Amino acid sequence: MANQETQLVDDILIQSRRKLLTLGATSLAGMVLGAALPEKAHAATTYTDNDILNFALNLEYLEANFYYQAAFGTTIDVANAASTAAGAPLITLNQTVGTKGTVTGGSKVSFTTVQVGSYAVETAVEEGKHVAVLQSALGSLAVAQPAINIAAGTPGAFGTLANAALIPGGASFSPYASDAAFLVGAYVFEDVGVTAYHGAASLLTSSANLSVAAGILGVEAYHAGLIRTSISYMDPTNAGIGSYTNLISSLRATLAKQGLLGVAPSTYDANPDDYGLATVSTSLAGSGSVTSTRLTDADGTNVIAFARNTTQVLNIVTGGGAVNVAGTAAVSPAIGVFFPAGLNGLFK
Amino acid sequence: MNKLDSIISKALSRRTFLAGAGAVAATTAIAGCSNNNVAATTSGYSDADILNYALNLEYLEAEFYLRAATGSGLQASDTTAGSASPYQTVGSVTVGYAAQVPVTASSPSNQQQILNEIAYEEQEHVRFLRAALGSAAIPRPAIDLSFFGPLAVAAGIYTSAQPAFNPFLSFDAFLIGAFIFEDVGVTAYSGAAPLISAAGVASGYLTAAAGILAVEAYHAGYIRTSITGRGITNSSNTYITIANQVAALRASLTVGNSAAPSTTGSVETNLLLPTTTSTPSAIVAASSSNAVGFARTVNQVHHIVYGSPTVGVAKGGFFPSGTNSIFATTTA
Repeated sequence: MANQETQLVDDILIQSRRKLLTLGATSLAGMVLGAALPEKAHAATTYTDNDILNFALNLEYLEANFYYQAAFGTTIDVANAASTAAGAPLITLNQTVGTKGTVTGGSKVSFTTVQVGSYAVETAVEEGKHVAVLQSALGSLAVAQPAINIAAGTPGAFGTLANAALIPGGASFSPYASDAAFLVGAYVFEDVGVTAYHGAASLLTSSANLSVAAGILGVEAYHAGLIRTSISYMDPTNAGIGSYTNLISSLRATLAKQGLLGVAPSTYDANPDDYGLATVSTSLAGSGSVTSTRLTDADGTNVIAFARNTTQVLNIVTGGGAVNVAGTAAVSPAIGVFFPAGLNGLFK
Repeated sequence: MNKLDSIISKALSRRTFLAGAGAVAATTAIAGCSNNNVAATTSGYSDADILNYALNLEYLEAEFYLRAATGSGLQASDTTAGSASPYQTVGSVTVGYAAQVPVTASSPSNQQQILNEIAYEEQEHVRFLRAALGSAAIPRPAIDLSFFGPLAVAAGIYTSAQPAFNPFLSFDAFLIGAFIFEDVGVTAYSGAAPLISAAGVASGYLTAAAGILAVEAYHAGYIRTSITGRGITNSSNTYITIANQVAALRASLTVGNSAAPSTTGSVETNLLLPTTTSTPSAIVAASSSNAVGFARTVNQVHHIVYGSPTVGVAKGGFFPSGTNSIFATTTA
């Protein structure tokens, strides 16, 4: 790859980096430096593909339990009539790597629309299969399921995060209360999954592992597209739950930037690495400026999805637990919100 | 990692992909038309070849979505050849329809705004890839959007005696047109990502490709959710059935060289019409065994966009003069 042609490509990319600096440090990191900026706060100088896959497994444990509870009213390791009828895998939790914890909170949603109910069932099954495929791939190296909190209200994880996001009535928010609330709860997770797998892709050394990560990345983005589309259909003017997506995205962006740069979030609020649903103005060839509905969580110029490193993802799923109060130093293990005892594995 | 490799080889057919790529390299050497301005890897293709392969598909998508949204396509400056590209001729676009999807002003789902958004995002993908490739960027190949008609006949959606399927006729028809592309885009990027070299990974190509992969999957999620949701709302599986006929055609076009992630050998997931809140939908296209998304090889993608299962074909379908790519001729 070292020749004049490549040099030109590299020059363009460097120019793109400069351009992206105006968009935000994290979009820069996400697009160009995902491989070069691995772990700032939680510097893990040596890690293997298995460490990356185990980090993903922690996140899949979280997602799968949320969807199993919402769709079936059970956790991933306990089958019931609903989970069995849907073909959801029953997950074995006998792993001994790390500290095994329990799942707190969650209940079956009384869905009223076929759309949202059926989407919940599908997603639960798919997230269960992601847990199974990662466990199977890792074999005896798979981490145990850590303690997980998916409880509604406060001090539950969802109420705590919704309150921090400034969602009206957030302190008592329950993603299990209605179809609309479920979509908001799912929204919290899906784009994070996309950014986590995207960030991990460049860290993997085995092409076989990369293929799996790319495949799961695609599925998480399908889920994210599904959730965003459903919210848009339910609230086309973004007056209700559509507006919550922006609050959640802003919170995630804030947490991610604390994790990456260790600075006060207000410094970077104008440059998020996360976008909710919105009506925006875009420029189309031949038509000039038009109004469009943003359904994709990607930078506005190149329309490339964001990537996050493990520290950024940790800081989101632990609600800021990966940095100290001043936002300047690493805290490990990161503890809080969805992971009250932290994650299992190298990245925690 | 033996256990993992075993699972993966079943799930994602890296070996199949590499076999296909190797064959491509051989053909390229015989044809003597490889892009000699870009350093070739030992496998016979460069990272620029991978990005240019993607750019062909983005040109196609952008021309389709822009016309759906506005009635016109890419601006000329977004279609030109890089100075070092071995392909220097900008191809023309045949439309064959009165392009621009009519939308109802009172639509509750902001149809025009969604058309605009997808068009914008694909337009920006074209621009991003062209900027990344610089002088190596290929020009837009010849594109024939009227191929939607014969494709629909081949899928059994219409007979040749009926008026040609027109993806610009209505929003529902547009969703079917988009369905034809989106899952293919996802799988093309998924298949191409592992081909990027270590140097390319360091240069950010992999994360860029993965990021576009994700956006294509967001789009595919949108399209599949909309088709399914409108089916539920209307208690009708009309368009779900049509989409599944498209999926079946895509599968048949890749017979014999399928990168089979499941035991059935299919890289398609048919849409479902759920009837209760406890029955699953099928929004995600992924392996039914492990919910890992599919990948397609460069050959499989070309079979689909050419509308031909025949090995050795170099053009046809949406690309009447072939793609501007070293992978243009199918080799498996």
